Amino acid sequence: MNIILNDVPYEFSGNTLKDLLSALKKEEQGIAIAIEQQVIPKSQWQSTQLIERSQVFIFESIAGG
Amino acid sequence: MSSFSIAGHEFHSRLFTGTGKYASADAMMASLVASHSELVTLSLRRMDLQYKTDNILVPLQQNGMKLLPNTSGARTAKEAVFAAELAREALDTNWVKLEIHPDPRYLMPDGMETLLAAEELIKKGFIVMPYVHADPVLCKRLEEVGCQCVMPLGSPIGSNMGLASRPFLEIIIEQSNVPVIIDAGIGAPSDAALALEIGADAVLVNTAMAVAQYPENMAKAFRLAVEAGRIAYESGLGEKRVQAQASSPLTDFIGALS
Repeated sequence: MNIILNDVPYEFSGNTLKDLLSALKKEEQGIAIAIEQQVIPKSQWQSTQLIERSQVFIFESIAGG
Repeated sequence: MSSFSIAGHEFHSRLFTGTGKYASADAMMASLVASHSELVTLSLRRMDLQYKTDNILVPLQQNGMKLLPNTSGARTAKEAVFAAELAREALDTNWVKLEIHPDPRYLMPDGMETLLAAEELIKKGFIVMPYVHADPVLCKRLEEVGCQCVMPLGSPIGSNMGLASRPFLEIIIEQSNVPVIIDAGIGAPSDAALALEIGADAVLVNTAMAVAQYPENMAKAFRLAVEAGRIAYESGLGEKRVQAQASSPLTDFIGALS
């Protein structure tokens, strides 16, 4: 599947947010995901289906004041 | 030294800390532990897909620190609400330090957008800790819409200029029915002690600790200063006077020489 991830084209195999995270090899702790500017709760990552050209943003927590 | 609470959560330390600007994650952790801080702030950013970043969450949580995500980077109420919703998912907390600064040069908080965002976030169930100017009217408005504390600035973020806003901070402290946490600009332990002496419930310190030559030692200095300031406040400071008032009895024994 081809999506736009953090403004950059990205291809991975699968079609859910969970599949995307597996492809990215990122830990789930401390991250948040939005699709088309809508925040997707963690509990829905498994069931959320992506479509071609979905605009996905992944955020991570970092040090800050 | 008494404890205090925000939204029913009790804090024994009156020193809140930021996690930014440290040279390394290890230096940050050593300093935060030395500070005895129980509340630490974090930011959110778009994930870097190329590089793995240090996971600082695990050591913070292992040390029992409560995480307070901020909305840094938001320039409008709409962006801040979005950032808060992301942070709630990322860190599993409904607490948020609401900060909205459209101008990157001075990082002045936008009071109007902050009030709008605070109202919306409170409706959505957030515990809102707004970072604002030392504006007594705005702080009162934020309290009225349901903010659980207010966080007025001492001086611009990272400026180390101390309590430049002191006269207004004192009005805020006098009027507030929610905890007042002085945030931003606290550059030295003496600034933190003064904040507590004038009755602030807590301070939030980041830059002054993180950029010190010896951050861990500076963290300890801030801890001691905050404790000293609060104990002094609770002990009742003496009034200031223009005229001298002798500490020793003015007896007339020298007159005996004449």
